[in-house]
Amino acid sequence: MTPEEIGRRLEDAAQLAFPEGGDGDRAAAERAEAAILGDLRPVSPMAPDWLHALILVLWLVAAAVDSASFLGMDGLRALGNGQAALIFVALLSAGWLGAVACARLMRPAAGRNLGPTAWVLACSLVAVVFAILFHGYDTAHFVQDGIPCLRAGLFIAAPTGLVIGLLLRRGLVLNWGAAGLAAGTVAGLAGLGMLELHCPNQKAVHVLVWHVAVVAVSGGLGFAFGRLSGELQ
Amino acid sequence: MGSRCTVDTAESLETLMSRYQQADESAAAALVERVTPLLRRYFLLQASNRPHADDLLQDTWMRLHRARHTYRPEEPVLPWIFAIARYASLDHYRKVIRREARERQVEVLPEPAGQVGGGEALDIDTMLTALPEAQREVILMLKISGMSIEEVARATSSSPGSVKQKAHRAYQKLREILTAKENRS
Repeated sequence: MTPEEIGRRLEDAAQLAFPEGGDGDRAAAERAEAAILGDLRPVSPMAPDWLHALILVLWLVAAAVDSASFLGMDGLRALGNGQAALIFVALLSAGWLGAVACARLMRPAAGRNLGPTAWVLACSLVAVVFAILFHGYDTAHFVQDGIPCLRAGLFIAAPTGLVIGLLLRRGLVLNWGAAGLAAGTVAGLAGLGMLELHCPNQKAVHVLVWHVAVVAVSGGLGFAFGRLSGELQ
Repeated sequence: MGSRCTVDTAESLETLMSRYQQADESAAAALVERVTPLLRRYFLLQASNRPHADDLLQDTWMRLHRARHTYRPEEPVLPWIFAIARYASLDHYRKVIRREARERQVEVLPEPAGQVGGGEALDIDTMLTALPEAQREVILMLKISGMSIEEVARATSSSPGSVKQKAHRAYQKLREILTAKENRS
């Protein structure tokens, strides 16, 4: 039995059980027309996804640079040119993927859900870049130095994520969990960007745990917050 | 407010949707008339949604109307509509689950799901309920709503490869059911 034959049988069975074009269809169409025709105003289609993604990446960069300018650019001064280039290219690439995931989740049927991929890739890409560039594994003051970095990164990520959430509400988000995860990832990358510009601690163990944790935790919190707001709607 | 222009019956759903965005009443009405039977069937064929199919349909149209600015004119319209219908159904399912949990707490039995039609309705139910939810959804969109693999992938936010895999598994299962039924008769 071929798939076409199975499909035909399904269609026949469906047509017998619920014939198309019956009174029920007509009555339902009339009700729907009555509901929407009374409130018919012209609307402009949403801007393309790349434009939303670009806005989000610019917002990420602005949040990271502004906050680091306020706190001091000690981290940037401690980095070599090659190190800085590699880190910020990785951050922007991960940020672009997260922003595209957000832009897609604003519109129904805009493509594959990239939220989880963006989160996993962002965490692993920056972790790999840090593992290549930094080599100090001394754990002295590990927690005392780490907690302020995590706190500062999340402090920058929170308002960035809230603004991204407001932008998301301009569309129709169907999967709020995935949208929260993607928004949290982009916001976490803004926090991480600020830390790379500000924090002069170049111990591998510090950046691999506490700096990467900003993206991981921010994505997780974004997911939880997204799910909750989806449930409440 | 809305303007009324004429509608060519051969006009594509995409053109009608674009004109609906521009507040063209006749295009909106034509779109509703052409899409409602597809959506209604989509809800009726899912046994869990059947008793509430007309409410779900109305809810879906209200969601479509509020979100009409999120449709981009160059894209296929059916995946956009079915993505919204799919989530309307999912939200409804969550509400039913919560309500049933409350009803169990006060020891009131939930009402049984509605059964429609005679032997043939059971036949389509037998075929569809044998499939897991994800496969059933793919088969409904592919075979009953007439969407392509790419369109179903868009509507379900997955990849065409994943849709093909689900369809393949569903065909295998349906083949087994149909062959067994033929052997019995």
